[in-house]
Amino acid sequence: MRKVWAVIRREFIERVRTKWFLVSTILGPLFMIMITVLPGLLTMKSGNINRVVLVDEGSGSVLERLRGQLARSGRFNTSVMQSDSERRAAVVDSLTGLVQEKEIDGFLVVSAATVESGMAEYRGRNVSSLRDVEILNRSLRQAVLVERLNRRGVDPAVVQEAQTGIELRTLRISRRGATGESGEATFFLGYFVGLILYMVILLYGINVMRSVLEEKQNRIVEVLVSSLRPFELMMGKVAGVGAVGLFQFSIWATSSWLLIKFRSQILGLFGISQQTVASVRLPTVGPDLLAIAAAYFLVGYVLYSAMFAVVGSACNTESEAQQAQQPVMMVLVVSLMLLFPVLNDPASQLSVVSSMVPFSSPIIMPIRVAASDVPGSEIALSLLIGAASCLIIVWVAARVYRIGILMYGKRPSIRELVRWARQS
Amino acid sequence: MSQPLVVEIDRISKRFAGHVAVTDLSLRVPRGSIYGLLGPNGAGKTTSIRMIMNITMPDEGTVKLFGDTLGGRHHSARIGYLPEERGLYKKMKVRDMLIFLAQAKGVPHGVAATKADEWVNRLGLADWRTRRIEELSKGMQQKVQFIGTMLHEPELLILDEPFSGLDPINLQVLKDTIVQLARSGATIIFSTHQMEVAERICDHVCIIARGRKVLDGALAEVKRVHGGTHVAVAFEDSSQGAAAMRAISDLVEVADDSGLFAELKLKENTDPQLILERLMRQNVRLRRFERVEPSLQRIFLDLAGPQAAEPERRETANA
Repeated sequence: MRKVWAVIRREFIERVRTKWFLVSTILGPLFMIMITVLPGLLTMKSGNINRVVLVDEGSGSVLERLRGQLARSGRFNTSVMQSDSERRAAVVDSLTGLVQEKEIDGFLVVSAATVESGMAEYRGRNVSSLRDVEILNRSLRQAVLVERLNRRGVDPAVVQEAQTGIELRTLRISRRGATGESGEATFFLGYFVGLILYMVILLYGINVMRSVLEEKQNRIVEVLVSSLRPFELMMGKVAGVGAVGLFQFSIWATSSWLLIKFRSQILGLFGISQQTVASVRLPTVGPDLLAIAAAYFLVGYVLYSAMFAVVGSACNTESEAQQAQQPVMMVLVVSLMLLFPVLNDPASQLSVVSSMVPFSSPIIMPIRVAASDVPGSEIALSLLIGAASCLIIVWVAARVYRIGILMYGKRPSIRELVRWARQS
Repeated sequence: MSQPLVVEIDRISKRFAGHVAVTDLSLRVPRGSIYGLLGPNGAGKTTSIRMIMNITMPDEGTVKLFGDTLGGRHHSARIGYLPEERGLYKKMKVRDMLIFLAQAKGVPHGVAATKADEWVNRLGLADWRTRRIEELSKGMQQKVQFIGTMLHEPELLILDEPFSGLDPINLQVLKDTIVQLARSGATIIFSTHQMEVAERICDHVCIIARGRKVLDGALAEVKRVHGGTHVAVAFEDSSQGAAAMRAISDLVEVADDSGLFAELKLKENTDPQLILERLMRQNVRLRRFERVEPSLQRIFLDLAGPQAAEPERRETANA
């Protein structure tokens, strides 16, 4: 149909030409570069050494151990100051002055009672750096622990052995075996996929609504429906705006693929070493995940944009539409609220059901696929339900739309909308 | 009528929740005519046009276009339609807008582009071709919209209130274009309540009031049939006019008194000569005294004006 094609073409070209499209298309990859480069940069940049004074109030060998531990971390440059509890106030005052003059970053008071009570006090400028505080905390705990064991006469060799670091690595296992991805990366990927889909469906759905409303407001719709059937006009619009969505989606997908492929080179440009690159593991985004995300984008977009088209056709002004779009948005927001429960347990009953319900499946199913292994039969069933619902919703929407676009004046009630849908 | 009919409407009615918009309306529009659909606001003109265009469906009756009942949408490539409320995509460029409108009528892109350039030059919008619609003045937007209506060279143009809101210059341009199109064989239907324009360009008229047709036919025929004796008088100044009108008031049934000029409908069996005699006796200085056909304005007021509604109401009360 040449006429429908003209509508699709117009929607596509006029939208792609807008500044908004240009900015969001460029910002997408920039954002991706940022989240790839930033972790690396952060690891590099925070390499400055903390100058810390250790105030020794007769703590004995604890202080020396602590000093050794901190030195090994490579992030602390320590000096020791002898003191006692009577002079504490004066010492604290003068050291506080030094911190304020940025001569030192902080000071840690270790008293004789520290070993028994386990209490020590650190004051400094860098207490908000979680990492530094964590190192301080861990070093102190270890030093005190060793001292306590020593006092009880435990064999130094045993103490040595007990000090060996303990670390838990979490790795995801998929059907293809161990992926080498960490648990965080999987969580992050699922979260990212869900959020992007939510945003894109909402954004383009609202675009359809605005477009319908614009045509109704400037009455072009009357000229158009005198040569196209309202259904053709609505579908042309949905297809045109959807094509913009897919176009943007594919630009983003291509650029992120290139980004991952040439990650080390790009990171090299920012002066980040190969080792740092290798230490930050990125989740793998396979073509299957991309295909599933694209398929569910289509399902979700068609479903929601048809509903948004109804909202647009039933309203007269932008502000009216903003109110009337709330119910549709609420349905979409529910999917977003399910994001965390689903990520926590992608195989739970809640996850499975919500990935079947057509209003939430476009967001939930890709999350499940990103975060776990979903049987192919479940995906097929969910897509089938989605496609069938699209047909029904589009059919109903077109019937309401057909009448709504020519109705001006009072906003119709839900009952009137139902009557329009039934009217022949 | 020997000419083939482009539009043939047979007893259509349309009801909306609460009120009847059009009742039992029949129209016959011959090919090549300029057909004026006249009526006061709310008479049902727009509803009738929408039914011709297949935008809304009549509850009863049939609409035939080009001899069949396939509907306006089926024939849309042969029809140009200007809706009552104007509007274009504000963000689109003039040329793209025109091309789109033609494409929506099924014209291929290349042809549409050539036509758009042609028309834009013809109506003096060449410098604005690549500007956005929102940058144009209201008059220019009207022109763009009008070009959009006829870019695909329709055989039938349906214009809902095409002259409303136009300045005298643009009104002239539009009028000239309509006449030219009609000469080249297009059929034009337009609705208006501006009788002066209708009188000058229509060869057929239909007057609608309160959803019903009150009169239709060729303009000359309508004027002849309307009957009555009509006289046009022009005075040298308006004070003379006031005195004159007083002197002859007992012989005049209705007067359309515009101060310096008046159109008079005389009471039955009144000789216009008598009027002239009275005026001469009063020493009124005249610039014009002429026996005329009733103006469309007069006919319109007689048939669709407030007085016309009275007898009809009485009729329905009796029935």
